[in-house]
Amino acid sequence: MLELQGLDKSFGAVHVTRNVSMKLERGERRVILGPNGAGKTTLFNQIVGELTPDKGTIHLAGQDVTGLSMAGRARQGLSRSYQKNTLFDGLTVEENLGLAAAVHTGHATRLWSDSLAKPEVREIVAEVANQVNLMPYLHAKVSEVSYGVRRQLEVGVALATRPMVLLMDEPTSGVGPEMSKGFHDLLNNLPRDLTILIIEHDMDLAFDVADTITVLNYGEVVFDGLPEAARGSKLLKEIYLGSWQDA
Amino acid sequence: MFRHNTLRYGALVLLAAGALAHAFTAGYFGLEILTEILILAILVLALDMVAGFGGMVSLCHGALMGVGAYAFALLSTKAGISVPLSMVAAVAITGAGAWVIGTVCARSHGIYFIMATLAFGQMAYSYVFEAPIFGGDDGLGGISRPDLSLVGIDLDDSRSFALFCLAALALVYGAAVITLRSGLGRSLSGVMHNAQRMRALGLTVWRVKADVFGVSGMIAGLAGVLAAQHSMYISPGLLNWTVSGEALVVVILGGLGTLVGPLVGAAAFVVLKHEVSALTSYWHLVVGGILIAVVLSRANGIFGWVEARWGAKLDRRLADTTRGTEAQEVTGDA
Repeated sequence: MLELQGLDKSFGAVHVTRNVSMKLERGERRVILGPNGAGKTTLFNQIVGELTPDKGTIHLAGQDVTGLSMAGRARQGLSRSYQKNTLFDGLTVEENLGLAAAVHTGHATRLWSDSLAKPEVREIVAEVANQVNLMPYLHAKVSEVSYGVRRQLEVGVALATRPMVLLMDEPTSGVGPEMSKGFHDLLNNLPRDLTILIIEHDMDLAFDVADTITVLNYGEVVFDGLPEAARGSKLLKEIYLGSWQDA
Repeated sequence: MFRHNTLRYGALVLLAAGALAHAFTAGYFGLEILTEILILAILVLALDMVAGFGGMVSLCHGALMGVGAYAFALLSTKAGISVPLSMVAAVAITGAGAWVIGTVCARSHGIYFIMATLAFGQMAYSYVFEAPIFGGDDGLGGISRPDLSLVGIDLDDSRSFALFCLAALALVYGAAVITLRSGLGRSLSGVMHNAQRMRALGLTVWRVKADVFGVSGMIAGLAGVLAAQHSMYISPGLLNWTVSGEALVVVILGGLGTLVGPLVGAAAFVVLKHEVSALTSYWHLVVGGILIAVVLSRANGIFGWVEARWGAKLDRRLADTTRGTEAQEVTGDA
């Protein structure tokens, strides 16, 4: 469903992505691990088109999307959520979801009709709001809801474009243990045919949802395999997992 | 996204009532001032749509108004096309021109957007000033108003023309509200809040900005058509950047991003201009001082200030009253 081949990216002398390749099958849930500065978010930015790789290609559902803009890739079925909330703060939760759903259904550029009044948009909004537990907050402004609810909405907005591949950059960033547990359920309840690539520092969540794990270190893939193998890997223990496994 | 509230509805009713009362009681000069307010109100509505709801601060809306005026004048006086058809064509031409400007400028933002629109505006001004077809510095005269004698209305009469402009303003206000509440308007609001996220959702951001700029241009074009019909003479000064600057002052004075505020701003600006200029030729200093006071007060213009003080309270009080009435009805039923 998503295939990266030899992605390379440098900022001046700093080589942030080194020949990264990976292939995600339809419905696969892959977690990307790595210490701070490993190049995880930079890799995400290249996949969605926020950054252009110096080398390499990105294929989505068999189609080369490397030359497409960010909006073009999103229209092909690639969606992302951000590590820092990137929402429409002055609008309500419903309007936030509605904006994404309207883009997906083609109502976002219609001049004479209200996109949020369209049945197909309302249907997506209701379905996503249920998926990410936002029904009680639909009419609240984003600026009025808690941080945890905003994290759920961050994922919800990405889901409302009905993606084939969802990239989630640390969905539990900054939330407490209770909320983090809620995200386990949220992720496990997403449709099984949705391909998901997640950057996550919460190891419990990572190993709970992952079908496969990729570990980046200094922009390079140093491990690619099953969660069980990741747990037993000495290399990973050295570069990343040591403190977690010892704990 | 644009929303009406009790205060906005109230202000609209008051403004409409005031305009109607003035139209039926004022003498010639009063009607001329009212017409000037109404035409300026149409122009600043167009500017508020893009600046207040899309973050596109334009310094070419004066030029767009001028394009509308010249297109109408040329089509109706030189090309021999009927007045109604010339009006429609002028509005469409201005809209198309604005869309092209929007397409180019939408790729920039902030100060760069302002400068790009200023450049387009001044290009149009220079061209109209130099090209012989537009009459150069002498401008164009002999412009007609629509003939509504079939329905018994003489638009050469100041009162009738003021009411005609009021009807046009009401129509434009409705069109602006519909546009801002449409899918396109909602997307524009999303773009203003977070353009990058809208791109990540799959939206072609420049297209949304250009489309709304085009609609706004059509409205500015209509203001130009009415301005040409009002004075029956036009000159290149209509396209000068100072007209755009003045429109921006009016929007900020009234309340950016409120739609109702710019209407208040237009009335306040024109009345101030005429009243203060009767006392001193330095009226710009007075208006400038008021604008500085408004900006430093951190209120969103005159209407924004009123809304911040009383808007929420009024809505709450009305909601409480409604709940109280419902509760009484339930008790009564029981």
